Amino acid sequence: MKLLQKTIRSYFVYSVIILLVAIPVFYFVIQGIVREDVDENLMNTKEILKPKIANALLHNNISQLNFLDHDITVSVSTALKEFDTLTTIEIFDTVARELVPYRVLTSYVIINGKPCILEVKTSLVDNEDLIQSIVKVQVILLLLLIVGLFIINRNLSKKIWMPFYTTLNTLKNYKVEKHEPLALSKSAITEFNDLNTSLQELTERTYQSYISQKEFTENASHEMQTPLAVFHSKLELLMQTMPLSQEQAELMSGLADAGQRMARLNKSLLLLTKIENSQFADKENISLNACIEKFILLYQPQINEKQITVENKITTDEILNANTALIEVLISNLLGNAIRHNYVGGRINIQLHLDELVIENTGRQTPLDETKIFERFQKESIDSNSIGLGLEMVNKVCSINQYEVAYQFINNLHSFTVRFNS
Amino acid sequence: MKILIVEDEKELSKSMVTYLQRENYTCDVAYNFNDGRSKMESFDYDCILLDISLPDGNGLQILKELKGDDKLDGVIIISAKNSLDDKIAGLNLGADDYMAKPFHLSELSARIAAVIRRKRFQGSNVLVFNELTIDLLAKTVSVSNKPVDVTRKEYDLLLYLVSNKNRVISKNAIAENISGDNADLYDNFDFIYAHMKNLKKKLTAAGCEDYIKSIYGMGYKFTI
Repeated sequence: MKLLQKTIRSYFVYSVIILLVAIPVFYFVIQGIVREDVDENLMNTKEILKPKIANALLHNNISQLNFLDHDITVSVSTALKEFDTLTTIEIFDTVARELVPYRVLTSYVIINGKPCILEVKTSLVDNEDLIQSIVKVQVILLLLLIVGLFIINRNLSKKIWMPFYTTLNTLKNYKVEKHEPLALSKSAITEFNDLNTSLQELTERTYQSYISQKEFTENASHEMQTPLAVFHSKLELLMQTMPLSQEQAELMSGLADAGQRMARLNKSLLLLTKIENSQFADKENISLNACIEKFILLYQPQINEKQITVENKITTDEILNANTALIEVLISNLLGNAIRHNYVGGRINIQLHLDELVIENTGRQTPLDETKIFERFQKESIDSNSIGLGLEMVNKVCSINQYEVAYQFINNLHSFTVRFNS
Repeated sequence: MKILIVEDEKELSKSMVTYLQRENYTCDVAYNFNDGRSKMESFDYDCILLDISLPDGNGLQILKELKGDDKLDGVIIISAKNSLDDKIAGLNLGADDYMAKPFHLSELSARIAAVIRRKRFQGSNVLVFNELTIDLLAKTVSVSNKPVDVTRKEYDLLLYLVSNKNRVISKNAIAENISGDNADLYDNFDFIYAHMKNLKKKLTAAGCEDYIKSIYGMGYKFTI
């Protein structure tokens, strides 16, 4: 949920609750006030009428009493009750052809010693209409108020949070390896200024640690490569010494192989560290097809040596926007593995459809553990030339570029799929 | 022929001196930036081996000054970094070659020979060993003036062997010379044996003495 949505949502919920509660309460309060008023009027009318009726009855009998006003009736009562009753009834109006609510005051009065029933009624239609109109106006006013508040609040929030969103966007585009200082504008609000200052300090510190890590990589490389170079050179000089026996030659061969592996391992580890440090950031458009063909050509001697049939079934080209060195690491490792872990006379299939590159190869008859193969030094091969870093590099390159890589073992083929999601 | 080695790692430069002296090169050694720079200024060398990361300066600075003085010394950069940026920077500044540590001394020797040949003979050069002749410009091999049909790989292999004549070249060094970084994709060194066998067969069939000797399975040696 966005920040603005969150605040506006709280306002909205509060407003709806207020509206839902206020409208009925308002309606009933108005209605109560009006009813009280009506009842009071009815009582007043009765009190005014009582002496007038008594006066009139001196000359006429009760049935002869005809009022011009239909809302007043007087009849003889057999019983006498002490209390007046007020009721609301609905009477059919012959003119309007509908039921009309009336407020009726039934009063028992003794006129000239005779018990009588005096009924005074008044139509509530006009009052109801009035109440409804008032409520409508009030609802509209409330709605206008809430909508107005909403709009004002949203605009105000947007304005207030503007520096925050600017900062957020700048941060999103920040890449530590590029080291462009964060260009954050000054805000009138202290908190945002504090935030910006803290962020600038934070990115500076991050950059410093990035630099020191990079320096460490370079230094580690230097420190490791130099003794390795000494080892190599001394061993080569040792090979030139005379006389040389078969036993010595075998020992030296073993040392040379181990030294070679150390050198290769160190080189791969450094490359991996460089990839992890995102030191390959420059992107350009690369033809995947051209890259694959380049490595097939480069590995041709090894392919020939093992008599492997390479079937490159790629017909369409995929243009990737990525770092060339990284894509080369990806392809060379996948293809190199397909050659290294193949058997003599084996097969490699390369396919590309819908952003998916599939490299399949024959090899061991049992599937590899797909949960482990992408981790470093999780090699399942007995081949001493395999140092167990290739697939981790593949994995790292994929995660940097947001590609997906997966392993499957289908039809006795080890299949690696890279989904480019372009 | 004179070579200057600017390398702060004493043991490594000692190894290089020992190996190169046997090739009849005269070697001067500098262990730091200032020493390297003053030697470079005072003398002319056929080839300078230059380490980039020196304790008191960047080797590329020496290269810059060398080229600024219009000196014709060949330069091979030796770096522990093996970073593409350094390589490009070095070659752009006029270095003749670039090698990443660790390297094989035999490879270094072959590269020095190539740089010196290019400088001295402007690339046109013929190597002669008794009946064997290698034309470096045309990249052809002939025995007693009769051309021998060798593949590109076999030619490279022969050149590598003769550049380190009378030296044992390890199989690792040969594998790396033939296939560079991809050497690890081979299951074993059988491919070297196959290439070597073909080369020897072609040379002996043309009437060349068998100069290439296998040394206890450890490597090969061009003996003359």
